[in-house]
Amino acid sequence: MTVEEFYTEIGGNYNEIMSRLRTEERVAKFAKMFTKDESYNTLVRTMQEGNIDEAFRAAHTMKGVCQNMSFTTLFQSSYELTEALRAKNMDKANELLTRVTEDYQRVMDGISKYFA
Amino acid sequence: MEKNTILIADDAELNREMIKFIFEEQYNILEAEDGEQTISLIQESGEKLCLVFLDLLMPKKSGLDVLDFMNKAGYINSIPVIMITGEATDETDEKAYEYGAMDIIYKPFAPNVVMRRSKNIMELYEKRIDMEQQLEERTRELVESKEKLERSNDFLVNALSSVVEFRSLESGEHIHRVKYFTRLFMKYIMQFYPKYGITKEQASMIVNASALHDIGKIAIPDSILLKPGKLTAEEFEEMKKHTIYGCELLENFKQEENEFYRYCYDICRYHHERYDGNGYPDKLKGDEIPIWAQVVSIVDVYDALVSKRVYKVPYAVEEAACMIKDGECGVFSPEMLDCFELARAELFAVTEGKFSFADTIIG
Repeated sequence: MTVEEFYTEIGGNYNEIMSRLRTEERVAKFAKMFTKDESYNTLVRTMQEGNIDEAFRAAHTMKGVCQNMSFTTLFQSSYELTEALRAKNMDKANELLTRVTEDYQRVMDGISKYFA
Repeated sequence: MEKNTILIADDAELNREMIKFIFEEQYNILEAEDGEQTISLIQESGEKLCLVFLDLLMPKKSGLDVLDFMNKAGYINSIPVIMITGEATDETDEKAYEYGAMDIIYKPFAPNVVMRRSKNIMELYEKRIDMEQQLEERTRELVESKEKLERSNDFLVNALSSVVEFRSLESGEHIHRVKYFTRLFMKYIMQFYPKYGITKEQASMIVNASALHDIGKIAIPDSILLKPGKLTAEEFEEMKKHTIYGCELLENFKQEENEFYRYCYDICRYHHERYDGNGYPDKLKGDEIPIWAQVVSIVDVYDALVSKRVYKVPYAVEEAACMIKDGECGVFSPEMLDCFELARAELFAVTEGKFSFADTIIG
């Protein structure tokens, strides 16, 4: 699997990330770092706890990271989740969390496949 | 200390790393993952920091809290801050600039742009700080050289003024006292007679100029200047000319525009004029006599009365004060008599030796 194939599979923008980071090695290095980012886990935990403020912060962080990685699909769902939490709309947020989880899983799977 | 460290504050390591890799070859990098850590790193390493990247939304303390701290603690003028944010909203942008951020960059970061903008900002700050230091240095030099000039000027004026006293075998104390008394009078004039608009700087020039009031006596022959006893009418006429001689001497070095010259000239010429027009040499009256000449006039009379001279014994201070008030030494303006009353205790203290002014009088 190439970096470009990985980006296609997870719904990311390969050209954009390459225009910024320049080398595939660097993109891969950041992708590996993405797997260690705790904001998704924090998001799930704080949503379960009903801690809206912390959930908002976690979603916001996750959204920012996806933006920097050009993970367009995951960025879009986490962006919408961030806005739902900002508006304290928990029904909408719970609904969006399912989508975020799916998108997140696809990215994580893609990264494991790339490094396999 | 070399400012070569960049602080990156963002709660996501990946985001920090994305800025870090741009700069880590050329700069030392410090990282903070929340607002509190950011503040403590600024406190620890503020002097080394040349740039701070600051995420807006961070745990514990927000980016704006950090900016607020940097404003209050005075870091904002020496360390440029670039805000990092995910979305551009006019509200947060405006707030960030209002709090003193130099620039805002949006995710996703484009390394080349971040690098270029950062370098511009760091260069700007470096130049500004450098200019401020140069200005400070230059100002310090100017103040120093001004003080030096003032000291030299004082020295020359004092030396010149004492020439006459040296000749008349006096100690030079009269000059010191006249200066000291003039300073007292100027203090009260500034305080109670603002209509004269005398500034601190002018007052200090007038004090210096007062030292030269009798400079014209250098042209008076010994037979008159040193005569023990009363002068004849003819001798007195010659003695009166010391006011004119003083001005002639000064006119050789005339400086039309120079305030100090004006004071010296006026004081030499008019320090024997009297308020009612019965003084000499020009018989000026009332406000025609410049206020600085009026001051030197009254303090000169007071000091002459209470000093021992070749032709007389000193009067007691109270008696001298009465004589001045009663117009026995010529008429002074009500304002000058008022200042005399205000300064009375201080004048007496000097005369009666209760106050060792000789140490403090220099300058």
